[in-house]
Amino acid sequence: MNGPVWRLGAREALPLLSGYLPVALSFGLIAGQAGFSAFEATALSLLIYAGASQFLFVGMVAGGAPPWLTVLMTLLINARHVVYSASLAPWLSGSRRWPWLMHGLTDQVFALAHYRLPLLAEQDRMSWFTSTALIAWLGWAGGTLIGSLVGEQIIDRWPLLADALSFALPALFLVLLAPGCTSVRRGAAIVASTLAALILALADMSSIAVPLAAAIGALCFYLLPETTGERRS
Amino acid sequence: MKSDIWLAAGAAAVGTLLIRMLPLYWIQRRWQRAEGKETIMPSWPGVLAPLMIAALLGISMVPQNTGTEGWSATMMGSLVTLLIWHRTRTLGLPVAFGVAAYALVRMGGS
Repeated sequence: MNGPVWRLGAREALPLLSGYLPVALSFGLIAGQAGFSAFEATALSLLIYAGASQFLFVGMVAGGAPPWLTVLMTLLINARHVVYSASLAPWLSGSRRWPWLMHGLTDQVFALAHYRLPLLAEQDRMSWFTSTALIAWLGWAGGTLIGSLVGEQIIDRWPLLADALSFALPALFLVLLAPGCTSVRRGAAIVASTLAALILALADMSSIAVPLAAAIGALCFYLLPETTGERRS
Repeated sequence: MKSDIWLAAGAAAVGTLLIRMLPLYWIQRRWQRAEGKETIMPSWPGVLAPLMIAALLGISMVPQNTGTEGWSATMMGSLVTLLIWHRTRTLGLPVAFGVAAYALVRMGGS
């Protein structure tokens, strides 16, 4: 175990937590309103650990949908995760622990790991990832528990706090993407993907926004000529 | 929670874990058979990964309050985040300043 790298991972997970907490609080609150106990809601967060699909899961269960359909829809929403571990593979070793650690590979942890892992020495990567993923996982589950128990009181008392903290996630994504804009071509593809997802989310199509917007960004990337050389950021 | 709902939760949890872990497991198996990583790594994840993060950015930028005030706060927060990143090239400070700028605009409007 590498102490400084563990601490670095824990510190870098903090912006994730400030983004997770308002959503986890809301999930705990909604799960409670849907008839799930605090223990059950927290168990869902620990086991499934995928925000949007958990909201769908409790919503479908509360609405009386058949369990097989609930599972199918949950997995369909999470299908985008299939490319995440493959994208990180160049920076991972052949250790058998890595596939199990992928339980912690949420959207946000993936974005952070995609930025950080290439900058770390090979022997430090597992410590960093374990620390970051563990803090994020426990933060998500803890936020769900608090939301189930006292979520309504917190949101009634500090409505602006939850709103302001929710901006931590877009701010973090901006910081993670900025160093990747190393050419006009890459920058244009990133802007195209961002705008496409924004428009799809406003059109209430968030569930398909990630793969569709990424495909639009990829189309833009491959259509643009390689006119400019890569510049260092 | 009834037993069928626990079973559904278990199936969703196992399915999600497999979605996350199997691609890496498959790639590791191929590494064992090949000479080195570079010879078998596909290039498309390197292009697709930042674009998926960009898509997540787009979704997360939609403010809870989609009125002028919410969008102004989002724009100001984004601008401050990028400016602080440009000066410091760090992770934590730009996020903290961006959230503060977002909160200030929201408080000013409420």
